Amino acid sequence: MKLVDKFTLWFLGVIVITTPITSYICLNNIEKKIDDVEIARLKIVNTKAAARMADGTTVNIPRDASFTTFTLLPTLPADSFRIRKDADPDGNNKSLESRLTVSTFMAINGKPYEVTTSSYIPASRQILNAIMDTVAWKLLLIILCVAVSARFLSQRILYTLRLTMKKIHNFDLKKKITFPQTNTEEFKELNTFLKKMTDQAVDEYTAVKQFSENASHELQTPLAVIRGKLELLSETNIDEDQATLLADMHHAIEKLSKINRSLILLSKMENNEFAVTEHIKFCRVAKDVLAAYEDRLEMKNIAVKKELDKNIQLRIHPVLADMLMNNLLGNAIRHNVQDGSIHIILKQEKLVIKNTGLPPETPPEELFERFRKSNQCSESVGLGLAIVKQICEVCDFKVSYKYKAPLHILQVDFCPGSVINETEQDKFETAAVVTA
Amino acid sequence: MKVLVVEDSKEIASSIHDFLVREGYICELAYSFDEAQEKLLLYSYDCVLLDIMLPDGNGLELLKFMKEQGIQSGVLIISAKDAMDDKIRGLEGGGDDYITKPFHLPELHARLRAIYRRKKLSGSNIITFNEITLNTDTLEATINDMLLDITRKEFDLLLYLVVNKNRVLSRQSIATHLWGDYTDNLANFDFVYQHIKNLRKKISAANGADYIDTVYGLGYKFNASKV
Repeated sequence: MKLVDKFTLWFLGVIVITTPITSYICLNNIEKKIDDVEIARLKIVNTKAAARMADGTTVNIPRDASFTTFTLLPTLPADSFRIRKDADPDGNNKSLESRLTVSTFMAINGKPYEVTTSSYIPASRQILNAIMDTVAWKLLLIILCVAVSARFLSQRILYTLRLTMKKIHNFDLKKKITFPQTNTEEFKELNTFLKKMTDQAVDEYTAVKQFSENASHELQTPLAVIRGKLELLSETNIDEDQATLLADMHHAIEKLSKINRSLILLSKMENNEFAVTEHIKFCRVAKDVLAAYEDRLEMKNIAVKKELDKNIQLRIHPVLADMLMNNLLGNAIRHNVQDGSIHIILKQEKLVIKNTGLPPETPPEELFERFRKSNQCSESVGLGLAIVKQICEVCDFKVSYKYKAPLHILQVDFCPGSVINETEQDKFETAAVVTA
Repeated sequence: MKVLVVEDSKEIASSIHDFLVREGYICELAYSFDEAQEKLLLYSYDCVLLDIMLPDGNGLELLKFMKEQGIQSGVLIISAKDAMDDKIRGLEGGGDDYITKPFHLPELHARLRAIYRRKKLSGSNIITFNEITLNTDTLEATINDMLLDITRKEFDLLLYLVVNKNRVLSRQSIATHLWGDYTDNLANFDFVYQHIKNLRKKISAANGADYIDTVYGLGYKFNASKV
């Protein structure tokens, strides 16, 4: 929900709660005021009527809707007035008016009298109707004004926030960013905080980058030393047991150096070190890699069916293109069975590799995790598909895996593309509107 | 062949030294940029093994220096960085080949030999051992003057074995030599075995001696003393 809508709803909620209360107070006040005024008037009428009575002029003076009666009392009561209000003088619950009766107790010419005058005032239901009408109009106007002005206002006030969001959206770990100036206290605080955070991220990124570079050098040198010494050791006079030990060590070193290289590659990709600058012909890469694997395909007697479209241009770093194809094809061969088959389809929008092989033992969604591998090939490092996934992320490709017995199907969508990019664009635009 | 090894890691340098000396090469070591510069000015070498990352300078600078001084040695660049940029810069700067750590010593040797053949033996492309002759230009192998029908990979393998004769070659080193970057994903030993088997078969079919020994679980060896 947009910020402005939240504020508007809260505001309207407050109005909805307060309106009945204020209406009630308003109704009471109006009624009381009317009553007070009418009572004061009737008292005067009573007094005047009593004076005329004392003069002996007229007994009953009809005046407007009110009239005055005189009742002789045995004694004067303690109170000098009595006020009665009859909300329903017609007795049918539909009265438009209430009857207000004021009795004054006084002595006229020495005799105790009750001078009573009645008057009709608007019934409270009538007043209530009028108030409800007003309230309805008021609410309508408020909602309209709030809805229109809130949007306009928030667009002005949240302008800097929107700028900040844009900056963050385009944030690149490689360089620090500066945020727009603002005089709103909260945004100032936000910008300071973000500045601190992004600066720290940039610093840490640099540190990590340096580490990955150093790790590659620092680890590969000792690895080279061990490997060299092992090779020298293999050439000394050794017996069969020692040779087996050496072979195991060779094997472990090989694996270690592959893991090291793969991890460094992954971190390099995470650090966006393979920025794509130009298009390359992916079909050529595919052909080259296929040629490199030719002898091994032959040895496993794997039938290869190629459907390679020509002149396929992709935005991908050449090293990554090679690595992607290498990993996918390598996997297709390694997880294949003797006399199996591989079907490669390369089109402008996708690359599909279907290969025969034993049914998968791990759930497909876990296949792309690091160090996840099926037991059939414990020789592997378990980073191949993680690298594929990372390459696809770097290049905005989408990779998916399916098993349709007996085929393993790996598909890379090169532009998942026209659809997803649009929704992303939309997302950003809505984000911008939220802040607006 | 006279080789200068410019490498700051003493252990690696000594491994390379030991390996090359056994081959009968004269091998000198330089652990720093300055030392290398001095040696290059004083003596002449057929080949220089050059580490890019040196404690007191960049190997690429040394390449520039060699160019300026007109030093004609072949250069094999060693680096821990397998970044594309370094590779390209190294080769553009006058390096003849490039190898990344951790490398196999026989691989280093094979590349060194290739550079030496190209540069110093004025492009000699014929390698002969007893009845075997290898032509690195046409990729043709003959045994007793009979052309051997072998694939490109088998030629590479035979060349690798002949260059590193009497050395134990681990299966890992053979796999790396044959497939380079394309070994990362495969358990290659079966494939190495297959290639060796095919090669043996073809050599014996051409009445060549069975020079290729299996060294227990370790790998293979081109045994030159067999006749």
